Amino acid sequence: MNPAEEIKQLFPGSVVSTGIQTNKPLAIIKKEDLLIIAEKVKEMGFDNLSLITGIDYRDRFEIIYNFFSYAKKQNLVLKVILDHNNPEIDSLESHWKVADWLERETYDLVGIKFRGHPNLKRILLPDGWIGHPLRKDYDMTVDQFVTIGEDGEDIVSTDGSNLLRR
Amino acid sequence: MKTEELLINMGPVHPSTHGVLRFKLIMDGEIIKKCDIVMGYLHRGTEKLGEMKTYLQFVPYTDRLDYISAFPNNYAYVKAVEELAGIEVPLRAEYIRVLTLELNRVVNHLVMLGSLLLDLGASTMIMYGFRERENALQLFEMLCGARMTFNYIRPGGVREDLPEGFMPKLNEFIKDMEYRIDDYEQLISGNEIFMMRMKNIGVLSAKEAISYGMTGPSLRGHGVNYDIRKVEPYSVYPDLDFRACVRNECDSFARYMVRIDEMRESLHILRQVVDSMPEGKPTSQAKYGIAPMTGAPTAVSTYFPRIFTPPPGEVYSRIEAPKGELGFYVVSDGTIKPYRIKIRSPSFCNLTAIPKMVEGLMIPDLIAAFGTIDVVLGDVDR
Amino acid sequence: MDPLTIDTTKIKITKKKPVTALDKLNDTGLISTVLAAREREGLILFSTIDQVFNWARLSSLWPVTSGLACCAIEMMATAMAHHDVARFGMEIFRASPRQADLMFVAGTVTKRMAPRVKQLYEMMAEPKWVISVGSCANTGGPYHDSYSVLKGVDLIIPVDVYIPGCPPRPEAWIYGIIQLREKIKNKGYGAKWGLNK
Repeated sequence: MNPAEEIKQLFPGSVVSTGIQTNKPLAIIKKEDLLIIAEKVKEMGFDNLSLITGIDYRDRFEIIYNFFSYAKKQNLVLKVILDHNNPEIDSLESHWKVADWLERETYDLVGIKFRGHPNLKRILLPDGWIGHPLRKDYDMTVDQFVTIGEDGEDIVSTDGSNLLRR
Repeated sequence: MKTEELLINMGPVHPSTHGVLRFKLIMDGEIIKKCDIVMGYLHRGTEKLGEMKTYLQFVPYTDRLDYISAFPNNYAYVKAVEELAGIEVPLRAEYIRVLTLELNRVVNHLVMLGSLLLDLGASTMIMYGFRERENALQLFEMLCGARMTFNYIRPGGVREDLPEGFMPKLNEFIKDMEYRIDDYEQLISGNEIFMMRMKNIGVLSAKEAISYGMTGPSLRGHGVNYDIRKVEPYSVYPDLDFRACVRNECDSFARYMVRIDEMRESLHILRQVVDSMPEGKPTSQAKYGIAPMTGAPTAVSTYFPRIFTPPPGEVYSRIEAPKGELGFYVVSDGTIKPYRIKIRSPSFCNLTAIPKMVEGLMIPDLIAAFGTIDVVLGDVDR
Repeated sequence: MDPLTIDTTKIKITKKKPVTALDKLNDTGLISTVLAAREREGLILFSTIDQVFNWARLSSLWPVTSGLACCAIEMMATAMAHHDVARFGMEIFRASPRQADLMFVAGTVTKRMAPRVKQLYEMMAEPKWVISVGSCANTGGPYHDSYSVLKGVDLIIPVDVYIPGCPPRPEAWIYGIIQLREKIKNKGYGAKWGLNK
């Protein structure tokens, strides 16, 4: 029995639907029950969290978690659908330590906030960057420049006159 | 006596950080108490650029992710697109792909050994490593014209067939490499100073390593037998005979020895591929999706069409790159450009384990442990 | 021969093949006149100070290691045994910019890294030169449309030689280095500010 069907049996209220995503079992769940389902998933033996992806469709956000189990050699995909105006979800950092940086990257580039994360700051872009680049409404015509401030940290501004020569 | 904690910055411009990576170290005397990694100095926005280009136009960007071994990057992306679109690849193309992947694994481990030993202070190994690498790069140049950024593995097969004179030169390279690996082992592995600097440095238990998302040869040095070529085989790996190299002591020396073993296994695979290379066409000739652009020649085209539309859907596919598990998550919405491409890079996830690994060590030990994790900044920052 | 009665139209000047080291030195054009004093055991050379300084500066340029991305790997390959760059005088790549006089900007310069590259340039001591390697450092390269890439390093520091390629082959690197040597030999260091040296 594939793992998505197992989860649907154990938590019938939380699972919206199950299916197959290009030969991996997929389960779409509600965002309030993410933590309890995550504990059960970890207990089922899925100890490798491969990927956390955030996608911006124009009317909603989606987060996709990909899991793999070394012992049983099975895959599992969990998908959560979020509201477009206020994308927030619980953090999985307490169960899988790799979620620490993967969630920071999703916050940085897509703009989804994770509750309960110990250190939710930008990781790939400097701290003061304006906007989240991977959203579909990011303005690519505005150029932002970085200079170094007094204490060695980055200062971001749209005016690059003290950096550029021409 | 009152002591203070010191904040030392191992900055973006440093000869041992393998690129532009910054460590913020909080030290108590000589011992590291906390290590913060600041990255993003090479963030080029590859994922956003992927949404502006067609499926074939994105292949050169994948070359520049892990620039030392570019063939596995090409292949991981192309495998995702082929799974999404349902493209069948001829058998000869698969064998040529496996040939290039394993050759690139040997080159990658040579560069890793060279830069690890250069950081520790020995400059002989990098000279030897780059000398062997030149021979391999001449083989690659015969194949596709470029030394480092190949753009050779495309959806539907490979770009060109093998040229004449390639096989004898490849056989010479394989024979030469076997003696050289024995040379390197004799030079390095028994060296007292090397063993003192690597044994019991950077220790992590296997459970912690899995939780921190480590994969690839670094994880196999911790005793976990997880090699994607054996667990979820792809391409022609089910027909080839090789073993996954695992070591049980969880320190830097074990992670280094796994790579020497892997170089030997790669040469073994190369010999099997050379012996059993089938005849056939190097790219798929199927007519797929929409017709190519107007003005195309009326003769039968020998390449897979340059513009095609996969059906709407999502796929995540992973391969065993020389540094770990490399995966691409591709979302398509039925047009000629992808909707979203997300890259799961092995160096980014392996790097999460460094702050835990170096608590209580000195800075030279940080450099030794960091060298065995084998990080490339193009992969971390994308 | 009596100097007043020499018929200058009948003097033929033939170009001899250089045999001794002195002949080869004369051929390089670096030293204007060479006069050998036969009474003494040694040689006396005449030249201008600028030519001698330029010759000394171009023969031992020491680069600073500032490789950022993929072009840095080709920098390592050029410096290794097969395409040796030490034969051009770049024996050691110095880790500190205070001890170097050439900066190879090899790789993509992102917006976050740009002030650091500028600081590295300002820390080098005069005389200094900059070579911009690869299409990412020349004009932004394949990442020109990206939101976080500086479109060319010559927006922040003055560049002497541009080497195109993605990444450029080691033979192209060496050609670029030879172009810089010609530039130093012919124009010296003062040409940067319009001085005619």
